[in-house]
Amino acid sequence: MSYKCSRCKRDVTLDEYGGVRCPYCGHRVLLKERSRDIKEVNVE
Amino acid sequence: MEDYEVQFVDRSERSARFVVRPITPAFANGIRRAMIADVPTFSIDTVRFIENSSVMFDEQIGLRLGLVPLTTPPGEFERGDEVTLSLDVEGPETAYSGDLVSSDELVQPADENIPIIDLKEEQRLELEADAVLDVGKEHAKHQGGVAVSYRHLQAVEVVGDAGEFDDEEPEILRGVIEEQAADAAVETGGYEPENGQLVPTEAFEHDLTNRYPGKDVEVTDIDGAFVFDVETDGSFSVDELVVEAIGTIEDRATELKESIQL
Amino acid sequence: MMVPVRCFTCGNVVGEHWEEFKHRTREAEDPEDPAEVLDELGVERHCCRRMLVSHKDLVDIVAPYQ
Repeated sequence: MSYKCSRCKRDVTLDEYGGVRCPYCGHRVLLKERSRDIKEVNVE
Repeated sequence: MEDYEVQFVDRSERSARFVVRPITPAFANGIRRAMIADVPTFSIDTVRFIENSSVMFDEQIGLRLGLVPLTTPPGEFERGDEVTLSLDVEGPETAYSGDLVSSDELVQPADENIPIIDLKEEQRLELEADAVLDVGKEHAKHQGGVAVSYRHLQAVEVVGDAGEFDDEEPEILRGVIEEQAADAAVETGGYEPENGQLVPTEAFEHDLTNRYPGKDVEVTDIDGAFVFDVETDGSFSVDELVVEAIGTIEDRATELKESIQL
Repeated sequence: MMVPVRCFTCGNVVGEHWEEFKHRTREAEDPEDPAEVLDELGVERHCCRRMLVSHKDLVDIVAPYQ
């Protein structure tokens, strides 16, 4: 899972032990980046 | 087959007003409904987002794209046909409907200045969209006719002079009248009084006292004569919309006739 | 947010006229009367007119919170 730290803007990869925390600056707010997949939307 | 008389009051590319007679109210309504629900137009149906870093969600942009009218030349395509369009705009700039690039030159955005989304620095919108030909019955975005309506053609009868001490109240009427009392009428809005002439009520500011000053009038519907107000969203011209709508009625009538034959 | 593409009530395309309407009634040096601008643009019905008259662009306001 790839995230982005909201304070230092660096890419963060989370594993199951480290908890939710940026390993570079310790900030606890991480943003999930938009997937690079093409998203298909049905216009209703 | 009956012959119908059609007289135009107004006529332009995207809007028209005309009188049809003699038809029944049911048939008039049939034409109206066919214009709204049965004439197919292209509309974006599926959008593939490659990149969207704008402030709006994919679904919101998809909805806006779906509402952009696309030109649909009659007779060139069949219901269900698809055309692919693409859009690629990088901020700071606004993405307009005119930025859509179509794979088929017959199917283009009818209006080019509709803002899709305002993009700021470092924002980008890149997508591919499939437009499909379908009818208004399926989804309102496929409606070619906008605000299509009809009303009776009306006749004004002068029944006497207005009372000398009557309050001067306006006599409001909206629609189109057929002049039948030219003797009592005055020229308004460039319409000389002449019996049998079609006069839109705008010509006398919708007030009969301007056209028939000092007269007492009565308004009656003319049987079998209907004034249609038709506008299109730009997918095709009004002429094409009306002809196509009549065509769908004819197709259904033929189908019914064939299916009940023994 | 962004101006609606079509009138909610009748389905007429109103987005087409937004930029000109905004420019002539608000951004121009001597702003014109919105009613006259709408008449000239051919936006006749009051359902379509309210779409433009009551609209507010919000993209500039929400952009910093991306």
